[in-house]
Amino acid sequence: MTGAAAASDEVLIDRVRAKDEPAMGAIFDRYATMVYSVALRVLKEPGQAEDVMQEILLQVWNMPDRFVRGRGSLGAWLAVVARNRAIDVLRQRRPTESCDEVVLASATNLASEFEQRAMMEKVRGVMKKLPEEQQRSVELAFFEGLSHSEIAARTGDPLGTVKTRIRAALISLRKGIEA
Amino acid sequence: MTNGHISQEDLTLHAMQALSPEEDAAVRSHLMECGACRDDLASVAGDLTLVALSVERTPLPAGAKARFLDKITGSPANAPESTGGASISIDRKPVRSRVIWIPWVAVAALLVLAVSLEVQVQRLDARLRIEAERTAQLTATTAHAQEVLDVLTAPNAQRVLLTAAKTPPAPSARAVYLAARGALIFQADNLVQVAENKTYELWVIPADGSAPIPAGLFRPDAAGNASVVLPSLPVGIAAKAFGVTLEKAGGGATPTAPILLAGAAPGE
Repeated sequence: MTGAAAASDEVLIDRVRAKDEPAMGAIFDRYATMVYSVALRVLKEPGQAEDVMQEILLQVWNMPDRFVRGRGSLGAWLAVVARNRAIDVLRQRRPTESCDEVVLASATNLASEFEQRAMMEKVRGVMKKLPEEQQRSVELAFFEGLSHSEIAARTGDPLGTVKTRIRAALISLRKGIEA
Repeated sequence: MTNGHISQEDLTLHAMQALSPEEDAAVRSHLMECGACRDDLASVAGDLTLVALSVERTPLPAGAKARFLDKITGSPANAPESTGGASISIDRKPVRSRVIWIPWVAVAALLVLAVSLEVQVQRLDARLRIEAERTAQLTATTAHAQEVLDVLTAPNAQRVLLTAAKTPPAPSARAVYLAARGALIFQADNLVQVAENKTYELWVIPADGSAPIPAGLFRPDAAGNASVVLPSLPVGIAAKAFGVTLEKAGGGATPTAPILLAGAAPGE
């Protein structure tokens, strides 16, 4: 690998601040598929998903300081921002939060396709082992953008049960990945 | 609220934008004042990242990168300085005085043209650098892949099977299979020689229980070695196992018993 393609995310972001187009191209190569896939999973419409992907990466280009080191890895940050923006589009509303507000504690390194794929396989393996109702609750909240009361109405479960299930699923997921 | 702080459950729902507007406003208000809850929220958001990462990757639509590059080369940060929308006054002076300014207008037009050409050159140069980097990367990847293939398939490569001491070498084989690409590399050692009208045939046994798929005919060399490299296979067929049978010279449509070599694929 050469130059931008082999550089770390931090180096690429520094170069993007200086408006280095090959550096932005390398970030695109690294993360565009992941961002697009997350948006497509939510929106189920390729055109809208590409719009979300283009919008988010264009924000990285225009405002690279929105991603602040210490807030987690760039890949993890982009994945969460992609999901949130796609949910906004799904609900046909203006962005509910600025990218600045997305702060996450995740050091997951996703800089290579291999690392992304390995993490995807690992997470999918852990999720498959979760109780079916936990999987369903997370699915409805995270990918379909339903509120907890909407989930409760749809599943017929008490509100508190829905909350507990989602929280329990995330705890199991974290433990499963750390194991 | 739990002990004056927001419960983990509500922080999770807040991070997923799954609270009602009223509940969400209360959480936001508390977060502005509580560092501990902000830390908890960051931890919850980190967990949510994992859910996002579970999504199966889908290739980008054709031309997505080109569209993106067009946007960044045309973005405000790279665009030449504009007039900022300032209004242009209409000159009502006599035609004669305008004639005086014509050479200056021509010079200004040439300057604008020169700046525009410079911007174009910079864009093309950036595009060229990206393509050069990509080409270098592809070349390195291809060279590495070719080297692996050359070693695996070289007739003069030494193939050594290590077994317990004093164990006579038995026929064995290894299959490397990538279902997503329909790519298979197979190498066998210590095969028994076969008659002229016979051939070995490799089979992929699909995980979904459908009929075995023929994956290539092969005959061992004098040392009993043989390989099948990238036979024509359908893409996306998960394999449960692989098998080798002895067939007539032209191969069979279905495997003929007995299966001489077999190996189960590890489960996903």
